[in-house]
Amino acid sequence: MKIDHSLPLEYSTEENRLKILGFWIFLGAEIMLFATLFAGYFTLANRTGNGPTGAEIFEITPVLIETFLLLASSFTIGLGIHAMRLGNKKAMLTFFAVTLILGLGFLGVEIYDFVVYVHEGAAIQTSAFTSMLLTTLGTHGAHVTVGFFWGLFIILQVRKRGLTPETANKSFIFSLYWHFLDVVWIFIFSFIYMKGMM
Amino acid sequence: MDFFDRFAIPHASPAIYASMVAIVLTSVAIVAGLTYFKKWGYLWREWLTTVDHKRIGIMYLLSALLMLFRGGVDAIMMRAQLAAPESKLLDAQHYNEIFTTHGVVMILFMAMPFIIGFMNFVVPLQIGARDVAFPRLNAISFWLFFMGAMLFNISFVVGGSPDAGWTSYFPLAGNEFSESVGTNYYMIAIQIAGIGTLMTGINFMTTILKMRAPGMTLMKMPMFTWSSLITNAIIVFAFPVLTVLLAMGTMDRLFGTQFFTTENGGMDMLWANFFWVWGHPEVYILILPAFGIYSQVISTFARRNLYGYKSMVWSMVIISLLSFLVWVHHFFTMGQGALANSIFSITTMAIAVPTGVKIFNWLLTLWKGKIVITTPMLYSMLFIPLFTIGGVTGVMLGMSAADYQYHNTMFLVAHFHMVIIPGVVFAMLAGLTFYWPKMFGFMLNERIGKLTAWIIAISTLVAFMPMFFTGLDGQARRMYTYSEATGFGPLNMISFVGALGLAAGFVLLVYNVYYSTRYASRDISADPWDARTLEWATHTPVPSYNFAVEPQVSSEEPLWDAKKNGHELFKGEYKEIHMPNNSGVPFIMSSIFFVWGFSFVFSLWIPLILATIGIFACMTHRSFEKDHGHHISVKEIEETEEKLRGA
Amino acid sequence: MRELFPAKQVMGFVFSLVLTAVALLVYFLDMSFTTGMTILLITAFVQAGLQLVVFMHAGETKDKGAIYTNIYYGLIIALVTIFGTLLTMVWDM
Repeated sequence: MKIDHSLPLEYSTEENRLKILGFWIFLGAEIMLFATLFAGYFTLANRTGNGPTGAEIFEITPVLIETFLLLASSFTIGLGIHAMRLGNKKAMLTFFAVTLILGLGFLGVEIYDFVVYVHEGAAIQTSAFTSMLLTTLGTHGAHVTVGFFWGLFIILQVRKRGLTPETANKSFIFSLYWHFLDVVWIFIFSFIYMKGMM
Repeated sequence: MDFFDRFAIPHASPAIYASMVAIVLTSVAIVAGLTYFKKWGYLWREWLTTVDHKRIGIMYLLSALLMLFRGGVDAIMMRAQLAAPESKLLDAQHYNEIFTTHGVVMILFMAMPFIIGFMNFVVPLQIGARDVAFPRLNAISFWLFFMGAMLFNISFVVGGSPDAGWTSYFPLAGNEFSESVGTNYYMIAIQIAGIGTLMTGINFMTTILKMRAPGMTLMKMPMFTWSSLITNAIIVFAFPVLTVLLAMGTMDRLFGTQFFTTENGGMDMLWANFFWVWGHPEVYILILPAFGIYSQVISTFARRNLYGYKSMVWSMVIISLLSFLVWVHHFFTMGQGALANSIFSITTMAIAVPTGVKIFNWLLTLWKGKIVITTPMLYSMLFIPLFTIGGVTGVMLGMSAADYQYHNTMFLVAHFHMVIIPGVVFAMLAGLTFYWPKMFGFMLNERIGKLTAWIIAISTLVAFMPMFFTGLDGQARRMYTYSEATGFGPLNMISFVGALGLAAGFVLLVYNVYYSTRYASRDISADPWDARTLEWATHTPVPSYNFAVEPQVSSEEPLWDAKKNGHELFKGEYKEIHMPNNSGVPFIMSSIFFVWGFSFVFSLWIPLILATIGIFACMTHRSFEKDHGHHISVKEIEETEEKLRGA
Repeated sequence: MRELFPAKQVMGFVFSLVLTAVALLVYFLDMSFTTGMTILLITAFVQAGLQLVVFMHAGETKDKGAIYTNIYYGLIIALVTIFGTLLTMVWDM
C-alpha cells in the first residue's frame, strides 16, 4: 500500500481517493433521489382529498428544534473532521459522539411529530398529500437512522484501530454523508415546512 | 389452504405446467451434473466469489443471452397469436402477461446486462487498468442484477406474471385492476436489479475518471470508454428516479398509500410522468454503449482513425443532457396543454441533430477507409440504414400534434423495435463476435456469422416494416386479437414470418458457438482483428492482472501507434501487483435479497424482517472487515508472462 | 482547545443560523407568495452552497473538477425534473 504523506490521512492512498470520489458520485445520485421526492411532493401538495392540509398540521416548534439539532450536528461533524486532521483522536471521537447524540435527538423529535400527525388524522394512507409528505420525511429520517449506525461503527473502529488511512477515510466519507443529510433537511425545512406555513 | 392459494398460478395453462416441469428437471440436471463432475468447488471459487471484472463481464453476457431467449419465446408467442384474425392461441390475460414480460425482460434483463457485460469486460482493459475502482461492489452489482432477474422470472410459475405492460401504468397496475401478485414481482424484482445497476454506474464513473493509464487524457479515451462514461453518468442520475417510483408503487399496492389512486387526491398520471423521467434516459443508456461499439468496430475495419473524434464526444455529452429533457413525448395525449407539449416536441426533435452528427461521422470514417467486411463490420454496416428508418420515424412521433395519430398504435411498436434491434441488438452481436476471441481464445466462424447477420437483418425488416402500415391503419398495440374485417391479417402474417426468421437467426448464433467451440483454431494471436486500442495489447487469455506493466498512452489509438509508428507501450520493469481478494459475501447478500424480494412479493412479513436483518448484517460485516487484498509477486508475474508468451 | 474550533467553521455555523432566521421571516411576517418563495430560494441555496464549500471541502483536491461537474450536473437535472414535472402535471394540465 503506497501511502502519500503529503496529503491528509483520508486521501493518502489511491484506494482512499477512489472511495472519496465514488462517494461524491453517489451523492449526485442522492440529489436525484430527493429531487424526485420533491417533484412528487410539489405535485401532490394541494391534493389533500378528505384529509388535512399542510397548514393545518405543521407546527413551528418541533420543526425549529429539528432544524437546530441537525444544523448543530453538521457543525460538530465538521469539527470532528478538523480534529481528525489535527491528529487529535480524543477530540474527534467526542465530536462524533456529540453528532450522533444530536442525530438521535432529531430522530426523537421527528418520530414525535409523526405520532402527532397520525393523531390529527394525517396517516400515510389518508391522502396523496400525506402519503407523499410522510414518504419524503421518512426517506430522510431513514437516511439519518442508517447514518446513526454507520457512525457508531466508525467510532468503534477508530477507538479500536486508531487513526489509520482506512479509518480516517471512512470517517471523512461519513462526514460527507452527514453534511449532505443536513443539506436535504434545509430544503425540507424551506420548501415543505416554511412554504406550507407561509 | 388459503395461504398456499396465493402461490398458485391464477391463469394456468398446459404450457405453464410444462415449463414448471422443465424448470425443475433443468435444476435437477444442473445440480446432478455439478455433483457428478465435482464442480461445486470450482464454481464457488472461480465464479460465484470472483471479483474479477472479466469474469463478471462474462457472467453478465451469459445471463443476457439466457434472457434473450426467454424474451424471444414471448415475442414468438405474441406474433403467433396475432398472425391471423380472431386467433384462439392465447387468451387476453395470457397475452397481457406475455407482452409485459417480453418488454421487461428484453429491456432490463437482456439489453442492460449485455451492455454492462461489455463495459465490465472491455473498459478496464481499454484504459489500461487492473480492475474497476470497486471490485467488490462490482460483484454485488452483478449478483443483485442476477437475483432480480431470477425473481422476475419465477413469477410465471409461482403466483402469476405481471400483466400491466412493461410501463405498468396506474390505475391498471393498482390493486383494483391487478389483483394477482404479478405486479408486486414487477415492483420488487426491478427494484433489486436497479440498485445493482446504480452501483455499476458509480463504479464505472469512478473507474474511468480515476484509473486511466498514464498519458490517457479524457480526450484520448477510446470511443467505447467515452460512451461508457456518459452512459454511467446517465445511470447515476436516472436510476434514483426509478428507485423512488418503484417504492411508491410498492407502497400503493401493499401499504395502502394514495400516490397513484383515483381518490383522496391520488394522481395516476404521476406514475407515467416519473416512469418516463427514468424511462427516456434509459433508452440512451442502452444506445450510447452500442454507438461506442460501432465506433470501435467501424474504425478497426475501415482501417483508419475515427472521423470527427471531438464531435463524437460532444454529441454524446449533448445527448446525455437532452435525454433528461424529453420525457413528456411518451404521453403527449395524456391531457397536458399545448405549451408543455410544444416544449417537449422541440427538445425531442433536437436530439436528432447530435445523433445525425454521429451517423455522418461513421459514414465519413468509411469514406476514406480500406473496408474489410467481417461479421462485426457487417452488423455495423447493416445498422446504419436500418437504424435510420427507426430514427426518422422517431422524429415523426416526436411531433406532438401528429402523435395523436400514432400514439399507442403498432406504428410506435415498429418504431422502437427498428431503433432497438438495429441500434442495440446488432451492436451486441457485433461486440460479441468482435470480443469473443479475447474472452474465450478462439474466433467464431465467419461464414456462419455473416449468414446470421443477413438473416437477422432481413428478418428485422420483414417483422417490423408491416407494423408501420397496420399502425397507420389503426391497429392498436397490446390488443390480443382483431377482426377479419380490419384487414390487418396478411400484414401480421408477414410479421410472424419475420419473427420466425429472427428466431432462426438466433438459433444459428447458438449453432455458431457450438460449431466454433468444436472446430475453431485455438492458435490465434492476441490481436486477431488487427485492432487499434489497448484491450488487444494484452495476452489472450487475459491474465488476472490484465497488464504486467502499466501501458503508456499518447493518442486515442495506442496499440495502432505501437504497431505502425514505433510507440513504446510498455516501459519499465515488472513490479509487485496489488489485487483484490475474492469474496462470497456479494453472492450471499444477494441471495438474501432474493429471499427478501420473494417475501415482499407475497407479504410474508416475518421472513421479510429476517431477510432485512440479514442484509444489514452483511453490510455490518463489511464495515468491520479488514481486507487489504493480496499481492502478486514479480516471480509469479514472470512465470505467467512466460507461459502466455509461449502459448 | 481553541485550535479545535477553527474560525472558518464557526463562522459557517453562525451564518447558517442567520440564514435559517431569515427564512423564518416568511413565517412570522405577512408577505406575498412570490416574496416568500424568493427569500426561501435564496436562503436555501446559499445555505446548501455553504455546506458544500465550508464543511464538505468539495474543492480541496485535484478531483475538484469532477466533483463540481457531478454536483452541478445533478443539480441541473434535478431542477429540470422538478420544474418539468410541475409544468406537465400542474401548471399546464
